Amino acid sequence: MTDLAVDEILEGLTREVKARVIYSRERRAVVEIEPRSIRKAVEILSNKGRFMMLAAVDEGLDIELLYNFDVDGTVVVLRAVIAKETSEIDSISDLMPAAEWAERETAELFGVRFKAHPRPAPLLLPEGWSGSPPLRGPFEGELPAKICPVAESLISVGTTAPLSPHMQRKRDEAGLPASPPASYASEEALRELQELMKRVAFDKKAGYDWERKKLRRG
Amino acid sequence: MGEEKVEARVDFMKYALFLGCLIPQRIPSVELAARKLFERLGVEVLDLSGYSCCPDPVVARLADRRMSLALSARNLSLAEQLGLDIITLCNGCYETLWEANEAMKQESGLREEVNGLLSEVGRKYEGTVNVKHIVEILYEDIGISRIKEIAKPLTFRAAVHPGCHLFREADGGDIWRKPGMLTELVQATGADVVSCKLDRMCCGFPMMQVNEEAALKERLHLKLRCYEELMVDGIITACPMCILQFETGQISLRKYGLKYNFPCLHIVELLALAVGVPTNELKLEFHRSPISQLIEKMGV
Repeated sequence: MTDLAVDEILEGLTREVKARVIYSRERRAVVEIEPRSIRKAVEILSNKGRFMMLAAVDEGLDIELLYNFDVDGTVVVLRAVIAKETSEIDSISDLMPAAEWAERETAELFGVRFKAHPRPAPLLLPEGWSGSPPLRGPFEGELPAKICPVAESLISVGTTAPLSPHMQRKRDEAGLPASPPASYASEEALRELQELMKRVAFDKKAGYDWERKKLRRG
Repeated sequence: MGEEKVEARVDFMKYALFLGCLIPQRIPSVELAARKLFERLGVEVLDLSGYSCCPDPVVARLADRRMSLALSARNLSLAEQLGLDIITLCNGCYETLWEANEAMKQESGLREEVNGLLSEVGRKYEGTVNVKHIVEILYEDIGISRIKEIAKPLTFRAAVHPGCHLFREADGGDIWRKPGMLTELVQATGADVVSCKLDRMCCGFPMMQVNEEAALKERLHLKLRCYEELMVDGIITACPMCILQFETGQISLRKYGLKYNFPCLHIVELLALAVGVPTNELKLEFHRSPISQLIEKMGV
């Protein structure tokens, strides 16, 4: 396969599933995809490459899945990061039969559920295994647990702790404004502050869920 | 401080007031006292609208230095926008903002990086602001003589607890500079300041997250025992975190059979009382230590 052909594959992945090329060099390319696009991405690769292996990495809050394909001598890796809360992704075993055992192994060792897998039976662990998946670590991010409440409050309201309604009432009774002119009292200031949190990727580091306005919890 | 005393500078004084998190949320009487004290001393303050946590000098900095610097620089840019220097009423806020300010002024690469982040939200920090602790404003800008001029003498035995972050100075600086100012400010009210061998020791507040029992028994208890031996009437500090530790810590110590009952005030509350702000206007009931016992002793 020529470099041009690999470029065509990468271009197809970028166009069809909005993949992000992490790097591409001679005989190796790594591409990040949304987990929901895994089947479409594999379809793009299916008539040009063969499945080699699936590696999983427990990242604390997420599980990184690295699907390795051989495209005529060039290794193309599809990287999909799935949230540990759901720990699931579509199976590609029907598209790439060689992935069947790799998915079963990953399911057992990391607790990942491969949706619509044709034979989701145990593969490696002893029969009757009742423990948790042996390579799955605890649900924890980069920050120590004791720091998490402060991190959550810093991202959601911009201070180390939110101002309680009780204290707002007490402040008002004391003749002070119910709320000081802090970030939590101004939508604009809070938006600005949260944008900064995203720019420095502190939200990712802390595992902040912007929809729920809380840190992710396992 | 003695001979190096800076005399009163009673011309027009205007600052940006950085309230931080703890004071407005846990001890608003300190905010109230500061505002009333500034009024009496002819100091104008503007609130920093839209400010965030400084952020916290221990947890946030350890968690992520870039995030910490970006938030500090944003706070500094708010004061720069007003063209004013910052006053903090909290040792922690002082240290965080002061250090971030120095880093932004001295490290051009860092300044560029942080300004790159700030530019994403339409801000920039040029490094024109000075960060001052309240004891520096009271001692250097207002002056002991001005305070003595309007203060009525109070009679009580005071322990002065500067708090760890008040000892922070630029490299080679005198770490007792600001604690010394605090002591003289307390003395300016007529209080008899007693010297305790553990004045330099931490109250235990930051340790509470890690080992509560050690923080209480091996820090707070040792200090309080020393104050008891010295027959102290009240503790004066310049840090809201230390106030929380002295007040709630005394309650927590009871579970270990250790009973203390020391009142604790912030320096601005003490000075507000000294310059004649009526007790009922200060809402000292926000405190969780026996303040009325101290008020009675002071003869206010």
